[in-house]
Amino acid sequence: MHPVLARKGETVLLMGNEAVARGALESGICLAAAYPGTPSTEIVETLSEVAKDLKIWVEWSVNEKVAFETAYAAAISGVKSLTAMKHVGLNVAADILMSSAYAGVKAGFVIVSADDPGHHSSQNEQDNRWYGFISHIPVVEPSSPREAYCFTKESFKLSERYGHPVILRTTTRLSHTRQPVTLEEDLPASPVCKGVFEKAIDRWVLVPGHAKKLKIKLLEIWKKIQYDTSEPFAKIINPGMKDVIIASGIAYSHVEEALRIAGLESKVTILKVNMPVPVPRKPVEEVLRSAERVLIVEELDPVVEKQVKSISKELGLACEIYGKEYIPENDELSLQVVYNGICRFSGKCDPVVWESIGELKLEPPIPPRPPVLCPGCPHRSSYYIVKTALNKAGVRKVIFTGDIGCYTLGFQKPFETQMTSFEMGGAIGVAHGLSKVVDEAIVAVVGDSTFYHAGIPGVINLVFNKGRAIPMILDNSVTAMTGHQPHPGTGVTAVGEPTVRILPEDILRAIGFETFVINPLKVKDSISVLAKALEEFKDGKNIAIISRARCALEVLRDARKTKTVLPVYKVDPGKCTGCLACVNLSACPALVVEPYSRKPVIIEELCAGCGLCASICPFNAISVAKTPTQDWEKLW
Amino acid sequence: MKSRFNLILVGVGGQGLITLGRLIGEACIRAGLNVTVAEVHGMSQRGGSVVVHVRIGEGDSPVIPLGGAHHIIAMEVLEAGRSARYANRETVMVVNDLLLPPPLAKHPGKKEVIDALKSKLERVYIYDAEGVSKKIMGTPISSNIALLGFSLGANPVLESLISRVAVEKALEAIFKEKALDLNKKVFEEAFREGRSNIGG
Repeated sequence: MHPVLARKGETVLLMGNEAVARGALESGICLAAAYPGTPSTEIVETLSEVAKDLKIWVEWSVNEKVAFETAYAAAISGVKSLTAMKHVGLNVAADILMSSAYAGVKAGFVIVSADDPGHHSSQNEQDNRWYGFISHIPVVEPSSPREAYCFTKESFKLSERYGHPVILRTTTRLSHTRQPVTLEEDLPASPVCKGVFEKAIDRWVLVPGHAKKLKIKLLEIWKKIQYDTSEPFAKIINPGMKDVIIASGIAYSHVEEALRIAGLESKVTILKVNMPVPVPRKPVEEVLRSAERVLIVEELDPVVEKQVKSISKELGLACEIYGKEYIPENDELSLQVVYNGICRFSGKCDPVVWESIGELKLEPPIPPRPPVLCPGCPHRSSYYIVKTALNKAGVRKVIFTGDIGCYTLGFQKPFETQMTSFEMGGAIGVAHGLSKVVDEAIVAVVGDSTFYHAGIPGVINLVFNKGRAIPMILDNSVTAMTGHQPHPGTGVTAVGEPTVRILPEDILRAIGFETFVINPLKVKDSISVLAKALEEFKDGKNIAIISRARCALEVLRDARKTKTVLPVYKVDPGKCTGCLACVNLSACPALVVEPYSRKPVIIEELCAGCGLCASICPFNAISVAKTPTQDWEKLW
Repeated sequence: MKSRFNLILVGVGGQGLITLGRLIGEACIRAGLNVTVAEVHGMSQRGGSVVVHVRIGEGDSPVIPLGGAHHIIAMEVLEAGRSARYANRETVMVVNDLLLPPPLAKHPGKKEVIDALKSKLERVYIYDAEGVSKKIMGTPISSNIALLGFSLGANPVLESLISRVAVEKALEAIFKEKALDLNKKVFEEAFREGRSNIGG
């Protein structure tokens, strides 16, 4: 049984994201919609795994905006719902976010924003608590996976109390940490799944006249939330001390342990803020009135700090308030960083607690292990194919615009087939703009999931506005990077039910691209198809490329399941001249050159049998060592 | 317990570190302990460095400070070397006898890394976890379980926290039938080898 389905009273090991899923289920949601994105993915993935059993609707939508709209529609019809996204996903859904605050909801509605301090897997580390201010939607922030469970439930209660959306903000560390969680309630036997859409033109139609009135109501709710909420959204620990620490989110967990290590836990008052936007007014006033010195510990931007300073000023208090003087404004916080900050603030603790033996000094040093394309990854072959074909067609100067996905790793040598990467779908719009101002040929590389997410308006614009760029869709028929979630090109829904398969070539052809579909496993054939296609491009036609093969990780998984033997390649040391073309052009992790050797070997356990190295080798020195099962190619 | 027991797991994506972290978490629940298991990995599904921070005892802050590890399990030699920054002089380190160099990179040899670790740490154990996994399972798939077994054997402090019984119960929660029996065997054999290393 899935741990999120466990009974009341049981203690289960839950990842922060699973804890959010359980909290939402206990609250009685009957609809969840999301687009996958690290670190938020496992919330809706977990829900998708139990959706059929619980008879609730869970979907992977094409993007965050559509996911938000889907979930919001349920909530305005009286069905509790959840949407979840990574921080930058909320930018995509920001339009409807603002409107949802004006119109409100009829049942609990929680928007999970999973932020990524430290840029673990994102293009920025924006602090989405600010969205609370722009939209006038309260932001609730737990400090541990266990609290993620409790505060998901509290967020639903808050949403129901005010008929207002609530943002639950988590961060990578919390999302991806597992902790024992003791379950407080059973799942509701029959959550409300049938909604009623009540026509209320002046509420659901945000024309200026209606919006003006709704704004007044919105500000009233906002004020109430500030003044009426205290426990559990703020908690004062050890009241009455002159030194006060105010901590929000996961920063609280670091503060708690740092004070214990420093032996200061009884000498400091802590205000634990579980709703950083807007900060609950009364508990803040209470601690400020008896404080002499205040330190605010929060990750990223001074969101709580600015509010506390403003309240202190309003009240005319003389206490000193510090924050970013002691706690960094960038990167993820840690126990170590917070401990150091508190020691400097208080001047009362030993700065040395942990004595690291430090980095090892070795020659050559331990090399970094940046993320790389997996062995057998079709993107590797696609990149080799397109570069070789461009070369063959005499197209020498090429700009590759790029996008967000595993294939972003193509920015690395030897590929360098990602020269920009800004946001979802950006490859195409950027390619179009470049084509208006530079002379080079431009290839816009975008993954399949990203194409559906935000690439389609870009390709339409490219044709409409007479841009000159070649969209290249790397199509592995799944959202691979976040863990193989289905999308419109997969042919199944989030819960594994068959559905229509919408192919990118059909879309591109309808728009007006002459579209060439290649199989990156067939390296030589693909090169000649693309070389011909590039002639058409030189003649002024709009062309698009689709390179289609499944994600190697899925193929390996299916091969294990079906007991299919995939080919494994080996290097014949007799034929190999040690030119290293295979190593240098593929950068495949399965190809290694042992120390004191000139010739590469293939690590059998890693080889996925894509055959790219064999296609590259100018001396035919690489061949199949393990005969594959007949029909093995069907798995790709 | 006032301070928490800090256990670092390192290796390369795809080696089973996340499963190992989960297993230890499940074992802690069965031993009645609070625990946080934090997975730190980058964009890629495979091939990148992975660090899992396991902190046993009261508290919620998930990441172990540099120099704060009591025990390190390394599934790969270069990652063992990289994890040195989490170690202090008293840290016990168990290293899988396996080197997986990143592509196109110059790197130190196995011996150089191990010697460097041994020059700074008193208790570094090199263990052929793949060997025991291959012998019992037929594949290296249970190297992670073997390294945990060896660690409990070689570090009685760790064993006093999460007992062998708790680990076996946790294995029962994660594996079934034949896989369960074989993993238990891997765990037990590795435990014995770990214990014999400290003269137990």
